[in-house]
Amino acid sequence: MSDVLVQLSRIISEVVGPDFLLGVEITPDTTFSDDLGLESIEFVALADKLREHYDVDLVGFLADMDIDEIMAMSVGTLATHIESSRA
Amino acid sequence: MPEVTARGVRFHVQTLGPDDGPTVVFVHGLVMDNLSSFYYTLAAPLAARGVRTILFDLRGHGLSARPTSGYTPADNAQDLLEILTVLGVRSPVYLLGNSYGGVVAMRTALLAPDRVAGVVVVEAACGGIVGDLWLEDMVNTLTVAALGLEFDRTQEQLFSLGQRKIARLAANASALLNGTSLIDDLGSGPWFDDLSLVDCPVLGVFGAESSLIGAAAELAEEVPDCRLHVVNGLGHTVLREATGELLDTVFDWLRV
Repeated sequence: MSDVLVQLSRIISEVVGPDFLLGVEITPDTTFSDDLGLESIEFVALADKLREHYDVDLVGFLADMDIDEIMAMSVGTLATHIESSRA
Repeated sequence: MPEVTARGVRFHVQTLGPDDGPTVVFVHGLVMDNLSSFYYTLAAPLAARGVRTILFDLRGHGLSARPTSGYTPADNAQDLLEILTVLGVRSPVYLLGNSYGGVVAMRTALLAPDRVAGVVVVEAACGGIVGDLWLEDMVNTLTVAALGLEFDRTQEQLFSLGQRKIARLAANASALLNGTSLIDDLGSGPWFDDLSLVDCPVLGVFGAESSLIGAAAELAEEVPDCRLHVVNGLGHTVLREATGELLDTVFDWLRV
């Protein structure tokens, strides 16, 4: 697992709450909506935390997707975007 | 999480775009809705065109606090104005309200005409017979939903099935409908003023198949400076399903 994926998993657990994640293993293929049960407002909170942690702005990245595409996105796709923004 | 405390309530507020210039404040719909419906649709493209955008979760919704009272459209309008004051926004702003948010936006324009430059109403009846019937229908629907959530313990069943997302939505809806004065407040109207008193430009956007389409004609008839745009083939879901067309219409109206 890449460093970004490890960090991202930690930040996701802050947003989702650790109780729910006890039964879920976060992998690059984990999706936000179906696997993590993330609400769209919680994804807004996640974007805030990523901005604080990585200084990466997701607004441009998300602008090309509709809400269903965003929520169906995998953790790996988001990690790849963060890695490429920092490169 | 960016927060603003206004009228003693903690509000979740997001801002996208520049720190000044023309400003659009978004007002979302009731109960199952929150600022994310704008965050993922209209806000980023407007911000990219140099418009300051301000999004907030109404009290009791999204990530804002859920006080037990203060849920009339007039309360929501006061909340909005106080949030702008706390943010230091002094010049008049454009308000864009979807569904019930349109009622709040219009209420704000009538309450503080010097602070509102214009209103975009998306799929909302803000007066007349259609408006009265719509609010009455909303109160009835929410009352039935509240009873169902209270007695079926829907959220607990969903949590036990691992349906986190729907369970959370149900839990939040139940807390809002059964734990606050929202339904009573909405039912304690009338909440509509004479729309001929609206002295700012208004853009009304409606779905041609919507049950609120009658409100479009009322709006155009009553509001002195009103432009209408009707989206073919859609009902109440204009924001979500005709995002591009709505954006183009708003851009053209704002002339940005």
